[in-house]
Amino acid sequence: MISLRNVSRTFETPAGRFTALSDVSLDINAGEFVTVVGQSGSGKSTLLGLLAGIDRPTAGEVRVASTDVHTLGERAMSAWRGRAVGIVFQFFQLLPTLTALENVMLPMDFCGTFAARDRRKRAVGLLARVGVADQASKLPHTLSGGQQQRVAIARALANQPPVLLADEPTGNLDSQTSADVLALFDGLVREGQTLVMATHAAGARAYASRTVSLADGRVVRDEVLARA
Amino acid sequence: MLEISPRWRKVLRDLWLHKARTVLVVLAIALGITGAGSVLTTWAIVREVVDVGYRASNPASATIRVDSVGTGDVERLKAIPSIADVQAGRTIGARARVQGTFVPVRLFVRQDFVDSPIGKLRAESGAWPPGDGAIVIERSSLDIAGSGIGESLWVAEGEGQPIPLAVTGIARDVGLAPGWMEHVVYAFVNSQTMERLGAGSRLNEVLFTTRDSTLSQDAIRRIAFEAKAALEANGRAVRDIEVPVPRTHIHADQMNSLLYTQAGFGVLALILSALLALNLVEAMLAGQVREIGVMKAVGARPSQVATMYFAIAGFLGAIAAAIAIPASSAIGRQYANLTAGMLNFDAGGAAVPGWVVFVQVAVGIVLPMLAASLPVVRGSRLPVSAALRDYGVTASDAGSSLLAAIGGLTRPLLLSLRNAFRRRARMARTLLTLSMGGAVFLGALNLKKSIRLAMDASFDAMNYDMTLGVAPSRAVPELEAAIASVPGVRTAQAWGSGSAVVVRDDGTWGNSFGLSAVPPVSAFFSPSLSAGRWLGEGLSREIVVSARLQDSEPALAVGATVTLRIGDTTSTWTVVGMIPATLGSAWISRDALMAVTGDSMVSRAVVAFADTAAAAQSETRRLVNERLMSSGLRVNSSMVDDSRAAIEDHLLMVADFLSVMGWVMLIVGGLGLASTMSLAVMERTREIGVLRAIGARHGAIHAIVQIEGLVIAVTSWLLAIPLSAPMGAVLGGAFGRIFFRTPVPIVPQLAGVITWLGVVVLVSAVACAWPAIRATRISARTALAYE
Repeated sequence: MISLRNVSRTFETPAGRFTALSDVSLDINAGEFVTVVGQSGSGKSTLLGLLAGIDRPTAGEVRVASTDVHTLGERAMSAWRGRAVGIVFQFFQLLPTLTALENVMLPMDFCGTFAARDRRKRAVGLLARVGVADQASKLPHTLSGGQQQRVAIARALANQPPVLLADEPTGNLDSQTSADVLALFDGLVREGQTLVMATHAAGARAYASRTVSLADGRVVRDEVLARA
Repeated sequence: MLEISPRWRKVLRDLWLHKARTVLVVLAIALGITGAGSVLTTWAIVREVVDVGYRASNPASATIRVDSVGTGDVERLKAIPSIADVQAGRTIGARARVQGTFVPVRLFVRQDFVDSPIGKLRAESGAWPPGDGAIVIERSSLDIAGSGIGESLWVAEGEGQPIPLAVTGIARDVGLAPGWMEHVVYAFVNSQTMERLGAGSRLNEVLFTTRDSTLSQDAIRRIAFEAKAALEANGRAVRDIEVPVPRTHIHADQMNSLLYTQAGFGVLALILSALLALNLVEAMLAGQVREIGVMKAVGARPSQVATMYFAIAGFLGAIAAAIAIPASSAIGRQYANLTAGMLNFDAGGAAVPGWVVFVQVAVGIVLPMLAASLPVVRGSRLPVSAALRDYGVTASDAGSSLLAAIGGLTRPLLLSLRNAFRRRARMARTLLTLSMGGAVFLGALNLKKSIRLAMDASFDAMNYDMTLGVAPSRAVPELEAAIASVPGVRTAQAWGSGSAVVVRDDGTWGNSFGLSAVPPVSAFFSPSLSAGRWLGEGLSREIVVSARLQDSEPALAVGATVTLRIGDTTSTWTVVGMIPATLGSAWISRDALMAVTGDSMVSRAVVAFADTAAAAQSETRRLVNERLMSSGLRVNSSMVDDSRAAIEDHLLMVADFLSVMGWVMLIVGGLGLASTMSLAVMERTREIGVLRAIGARHGAIHAIVQIEGLVIAVTSWLLAIPLSAPMGAVLGGAFGRIFFRTPVPIVPQLAGVITWLGVVVLVSAVACAWPAIRATRISARTALAYE
């Protein structure tokens, strides 16, 4: 499902050149729940950004859901991204002037997936799946952090992407809510979703089937875990 | 029910959420369209009214003045193949008694008023055609005539006594310059009335139009000379021939030049409002960068994002156009009526042409989209990763080492100064709108002063208070003594007058122009010349011409020698100088005129009064009229101040329109400043929170914002001052060339500069008030949690 070959990413900063990822090679299969762990600055978010196509590698190849992402132009990248990956951010990133339901409908609107008359129904179903159907007509600022993240997960699933990417999804949540979200992810993976999650959360290990450890932009450990 | 997709719901709700900014964008564009649209509407209406109206009147291609139009003359000219229509008429000078004094009258008689194919008249009210013993007044002369329908106007012609003519109607002749401008009463009477006035019923003019309506002025002139030959073959004596520039109203060029100049300001207002719209759209997008990143992260293509924001810009522009078009139509129609009135056309009731509305709608929609194009394209192409990291807080520009080097500045003031120059491109646009507004404001202010100065310069040449026309002519000493003996008269001087035509190399004549004949050294007349020199002493045949006359007779260049036909004599003259257009057509020596014509009598005089008070002058005028009439003279008179007032009032009205443009730009500039400061506060939310956290109070925060706005405003004032110089030169040059045929010198007014500083400081205080209040409402906690 996901394949990285000798991927590097360097940034030019006022302080000089910074290497966020260095020669990373990695394969992730369909249905895996992979956590990417490491300290701040280890390259976790950069790795997810490359998988999502919101960043480009300086060197190497990135292949996600049968597409060589690193070769796509900006326009093609956007179109691919909407259908191939669903992204969950640490700070939710919901559009503040759209309701929860409308936020979930948005990816379908941009990508033209599903017939227009079916989108609302599908969005309601997704919100129900993540447990916040009763918040459908609310604006994000009226929702709790946990509710917002659930809406964000529903949005990420809107176009039925083969891959779900989550960048520190529990980083802004309390422990109970974090546990709820992780349980939600677990449920999705059990339904066949492929999930790659960058995380500091210790509890994530219990749900993951594999954990990849990064340090200074390199994979230092790739451990298969026994899932419950 | 129509389902609105989420992306368009977002667009509409964002507009609603930022209502103030939305209103500002709409207002900015609406102002620009109103300014430019008003001028466009005026131009379109005036052009159509004048073109259509003038052509519809079927103006004469040429007018031939003869001693008397005889039997068969009209048919004889109709037989000339290149001639289409022929019409006989008569124009005579008379005088009318208005409020105790006499004013000049020009009476028009037609062979047939009802069925006259040339120079068609339009009956506006009352009876038409004029009946026996009745008079119909041309509408532009109503004020001068002082009489309306149902009243009587006492008119005298030649040696006859004034007789009352019943004013039975009002008509319009679009071929005439307005009577109020020429200070003459135009009126229409029939042959029977002419008999009653003692002028006889003969007609002495033949007007014709050519079959080919595309002929040049010279080609028409040749046909006129063919007609002249035919008339002379029938025993007629031809006095002069007038061939106007074909297909053009005599003042149309001036009006077009004026409208084009004003159009320039309209376009400038539009550009400035576009710059303001650019600032505002940039502000709108600055707050949307992260959301654009999110939309792209969930699959939006750059083109979809760009379409959303272009649609916003276009939508707001459409609303602005919907607001602006009724305003610009109302203003444009009013101004068109004023402007057309200066050409003696009536634009009242004229509809705004459909294409003008269409252009304003198109500009209203396209302009903000154009203004938005750079920030929209840039924003929609921003890499997703960069967009998601944007929280609207700008990195500080390098602090100005220059500012740091200035000693004695408090930290808050230094902060304000640095902040003002942080975003240079945006600062530059804001400065441009404010300073251009200032330049136009100052330019328009200076123009009004300069119009008065130019009128002063023109009329200062006239060291007299009243001009007199008398008949029959008298010897110079006799006339001067008669006038000077009247109490209240300080001194008087008799002048000669006449008319002349330039005899061209091919034997044809130019159009007739008026001659004023003065003693070369005269305390009464001391003009400033725009070229050459004034007349020499003695009998030398020298002529000084006006720039306007030289335009229509290029042979009259300074230094040239020309052949002039004055009366029945032909003589050679040298053009020695050129004067402003307001001082009449041409000036020659009184003695030289007498020598050429062999006539030592004069029929004109200028009078200087002893008392400057209006009441005293009015009384002296009455006494002079009485004294001369009692000696058997027919008199008409006009006051120099009245003539000046009539012209100056209308010029100032036109300058006022330019002032309005200045105000429009000022408002646009003020809105620009308000938007810039709003954006600045939003961008520095976290910084303001930090200031709060370290103890800055309401007053300090408020002051930082206000001072920052003031720095920008004062900087714009400093820029406006040098900018107003070329602005003034453009205005003065255009205005002067249009009305005075020479550039009007613009004299900067210190009072205007100080006034502008006061205005711009006030605008700054008002524009920054709300952003400053918003800044004081930012709490430390909110700001530091800002994302």
